Amino acid sequence: MLSTTLAGLRAHLPRLVASCLAVVLAVAFVVATLVLNETTRTTVLTAAGAQYVGADAVVTSDDGSSLLDELAVLTALDGVRAVAPEWQTSVQAVAPGRTGAQYLVVGAVADDPALRWQRLADGALPDRPGEVAVSERVGADVGDVLRVTATAADGTETSTAVTVTGVVDLGGDPEAGLYGRAWATPAQAQAWGAVDPTELRIAGRPGTDPQVLADAVATALPGSGLTVRTGTAQAEHRAGSMLGNATALAAVLLVFGTVAVLVAGLVIANTFAVLLAQRTRELALLRCVGATARQVRRGVLVEAALTGLAASVVGVAAGIGLAGAVSALAGGVESPVPLSGLSVPLTAVLAGLAVGTLTTLLAAAAPARAATRVAPLAAMRPLDPAPLRSRPGVVRLVLGLLLLLPGAALLAVGVAVASVFVALPGGVASFLGVVLLAQRALPPVVRAAGGLVARLGGVPARLAAGNATRNPRRTAATATALLIGVTLTTAMVVGTASTRATATAGLAAQYPADVVVEGLSGELPPSLLGRLGDLGGVATGTALTVAQPTGPDGQPWTVYGIDPATAVPTLRSTAETPLPQPGQALLPRWLADSWSVADGDPVPLTLDGRALSLRAGIVDDDAPLLLTTGDLAALAPGAAVGQLWLRLDDSDADVQAAVVDTVTDTVGSVVPDAQVTGVVSLRQQMDEVLDVLLLVVTGLLGVAVVIALIGVGNTLALSVVERRQENGLLRAVGLTRGQLRGLLAWEAVVVSGVAAVLGVVLGGVYGVTGTASVLGMAGEVVVDVPWLQVAAIVVVATVAGLLASVLPARRAARIPPVAALAAG
Amino acid sequence: MSVPVMTVPGEPPAPVSSAAVRATGLTKVYGSGDTAVLALDGVDVDFARGGFTAIMGPSGSGKSTLMHCLAGLDTATSGQVFLGGTELTRLRDDELTRLRRERVGFVFQAFNLLPVLDARENVVLPMQLAGRRPDPAWFDAVIARLGLRERLRHRPAELSGGQQQRVAIARALLPRPDVVFADEPTGNLDSRAGAEVLDLLRSSVRETGQTVVMVTHDPTAASYADRVVLLADGRLAGEVERPTAASVLDALRGLGG
Ligand SMILES: Nc1ncnc2c1ncn2[C@@H]1O[C@H](COP(=O)(O)OP(=O)(O)OP(=O)(O)O)[C@@H](O)[C@H]1O
Ligand SMILES: [Mg+2]
Repeated sequence: MLSTTLAGLRAHLPRLVASCLAVVLAVAFVVATLVLNETTRTTVLTAAGAQYVGADAVVTSDDGSSLLDELAVLTALDGVRAVAPEWQTSVQAVAPGRTGAQYLVVGAVADDPALRWQRLADGALPDRPGEVAVSERVGADVGDVLRVTATAADGTETSTAVTVTGVVDLGGDPEAGLYGRAWATPAQAQAWGAVDPTELRIAGRPGTDPQVLADAVATALPGSGLTVRTGTAQAEHRAGSMLGNATALAAVLLVFGTVAVLVAGLVIANTFAVLLAQRTRELALLRCVGATARQVRRGVLVEAALTGLAASVVGVAAGIGLAGAVSALAGGVESPVPLSGLSVPLTAVLAGLAVGTLTTLLAAAAPARAATRVAPLAAMRPLDPAPLRSRPGVVRLVLGLLLLLPGAALLAVGVAVASVFVALPGGVASFLGVVLLAQRALPPVVRAAGGLVARLGGVPARLAAGNATRNPRRTAATATALLIGVTLTTAMVVGTASTRATATAGLAAQYPADVVVEGLSGELPPSLLGRLGDLGGVATGTALTVAQPTGPDGQPWTVYGIDPATAVPTLRSTAETPLPQPGQALLPRWLADSWSVADGDPVPLTLDGRALSLRAGIVDDDAPLLLTTGDLAALAPGAAVGQLWLRLDDSDADVQAAVVDTVTDTVGSVVPDAQVTGVVSLRQQMDEVLDVLLLVVTGLLGVAVVIALIGVGNTLALSVVERRQENGLLRAVGLTRGQLRGLLAWEAVVVSGVAAVLGVVLGGVYGVTGTASVLGMAGEVVVDVPWLQVAAIVVVATVAGLLASVLPARRAARIPPVAALAAG
Repeated sequence: MSVPVMTVPGEPPAPVSSAAVRATGLTKVYGSGDTAVLALDGVDVDFARGGFTAIMGPSGSGKSTLMHCLAGLDTATSGQVFLGGTELTRLRDDELTRLRRERVGFVFQAFNLLPVLDARENVVLPMQLAGRRPDPAWFDAVIARLGLRERLRHRPAELSGGQQQRVAIARALLPRPDVVFADEPTGNLDSRAGAEVLDLLRSSVRETGQTVVMVTHDPTAASYADRVVLLADGRLAGEVERPTAASVLDALRGLGG
């Protein structure tokens, strides 16, 4: 039987390619996800844990208390070669070519070479005060001089100029891009106000077992409140806290991988149905000459297993290649997930092989069962016309309803209470229900759509409309595969757009000004607003005056004055930033409570003998005490400018980021210690993350859609085989080749069009409800349906379905009318 | 008395004959090399306009092949086929297709109708494909003659074998084709339904001057025709004019088939 199987495989190789492609894509997807996940893990482990990998043991204080006493104990401990206390502080530094200061986290370089973990991209580590090594994020080169301002615990500031001796490569450390880092000698770090160390890294004498050393250290430090781990354990500990996001992403990707596998399964089942229908006579003949039904079935299943295995091998290779490509690409750009190199876990390879082979086997099981029901006599008969009606199982219907209805209800509840943990299972259950019910629901919809098309497209369209519902089960399976892909793609697109819109609105409410300039010493020159307003990219701005009048409780309070006339055009949202009216003082609720004033009550303020009584306006959030500029001027005629709020021109995030840099430098050249904060960078970060996510996910879902389209092509190929006689008859009575191709094209358009439109509608619902349940907690959800993209999905899916009909149509058109009349 | 004859330069003169279909030197070879089968071997035959001709012969003698070549369903290896004044052997696929739907009608032994269309849609299908509207009076006449009035809304699966063949005949007659070809139209029917179908074919010849060419194995069916053409081993092997079941049987015995 095996030799027959192999001969069969060889003979049908071209047909098999279609189903192989589906398996290859699905397996590649799963393997790439697993490999990328593992690569992320090892990248983070080596990068985030870099400082611990070289250490044999690490002592950390649990409550942040000093470990200086322990330092002395450990240095004297037998087997310990060196101990590096972790001195840490932070400073403001100005790099050459910049006038604005940046925040630097400063660490100490260990004295012992074994504990120096920093990987140098250039130069050397510092070995005397006045020298630092910096991370790449700082943007300084070896030999540059940094102006460093350190603030001691008592508030005194010291300014030093230090030379950059080296640049440190932090590899894939997820925090490397967040802020700049610098390393100085322990003495320099202490001079800059480093607090007592809360972490000690220990190097043992050569040949010491880390675990033994860690145990010895733990015994030597009996007190509580500290943790001793080996270096490796500590590295894993730190990496673990950072991998949360990456693991969540991997989980999401695996969900999509499952989707791809499901869709591939549907397609493979259809492909085998095609192959076996083409070979009905061959199989029947085998039965005629004495093969038992079991032998035939086994033959088919062995064929499926071999196909699945071969395709899985290719898929695994493709998946590893894909992961490599992604990792190489991600290394070049800043990616939200840390990646460098490639780690291929054996489990990924095995999982890929298993998933591909099993899916193919399972998918082939039903067609194989059908094929073995073939009566030996079928070899003698022309192909039976396709069944006109087939009844989807009642079990499926009941199960579908049992999943859909409670699922939808759960989803609705999840949206109502804004809980993704309620909505998610609801969404999954209802979608599974939809997939099950699609078998029953799709054929009538396809029929209706066919009726519509029949009215538009002439005779071929009318015939196609009829053909599309000839075999409802197969049509449903084909359309379902596409429906799944389109639904999920649309859900992602709509969900991302809504998330972005919601987050943008949220950001606008929370940070109504694009850029806030604040003087640390409390005063900004009045001319600064004018200078900033003249900068390119700055749209408009408003200045807030500040004074310290005495409140009704006899205490001095910082009060800001705002000019609503210039503030309104500057602010992106006044939802959470109410503006005072003349004669009104806005005060946060906690302050109103402590002053015992209610909304509308008079609030007396005094300054230098001047007194003013204002109406209290109570605001909910943690806002400053706010008056109009006019009122504050009446109280404090010479009130200084304390803050500037700017609005930037709407443009690309990187253009806006450049404007923020210019603003920072301009401000820094006038007021060196002024602080410039721009939410532009926040918005930019969010946009970047969402863009990458959307790109990755739609790309991956695209795979599912492509697999589904292969399925559309296969189903049509099957129709061509089954309707060979019928198409021949049509050709005989006058259907031209072009019209026959049109017939199949219409059939493809009807099926894929219905799947695309329904998928987009469903996907829209899931996208919106998903966003609402995830973000509803955070406030108002803004629904944004990107109509253009959604329309593009429908068009692309339908046109691709049309393309999928090209090959089968060519095959059909080649059938000579006579050959079609001859039986089989 | 001289009649002016108009000829178009470069084109052979249209064959001046009363034949609706004519074949000269028609040869058909299936396959090539060792497996080549000579299905038709230089057949010269013509079928009179308004005549009802039966083609008979032993199995494998080339009856179906001859009919397919005459009807433009298959291409001849050599020789010529004329439908009226049109030489089929010169036409491209699309032209042949158009000719089939406008000037040729078909009735096959089985699988004549499209299962997704009802009887009426099946009947008008060739005309619709040609973008033409059937003449309502003629449509009514054909449907009435074939007794299909009550069955127009039924799908093929809801019709008996005889009814299905009548629908196929209506489809063949509706465009008033130059010729109707029928390949064993009664092969799947019992003798009573078969007789009905043959009566219909013959009355369409008698009453409307339709040309009909029919392939059959059954001497009784052949006796409905005006003339029987005998085929053996891809060659013409005689004719029977005004056939009866007995004379046809005699002629067939003569072939040794
Ligand atoms: N497509 C084909 N390929 C190869 N040989 C063919 C093909 N069709 C017919 N033949 C051969 O051509 C010859 C004539 O076949 P044809 O079908 O015309 O016979 P027929 O007279 O109609 O027979 P029957 O009475 O059994 O229908 C036969 O020998 C047959 O084997
Ligand atoms: Mg025949």
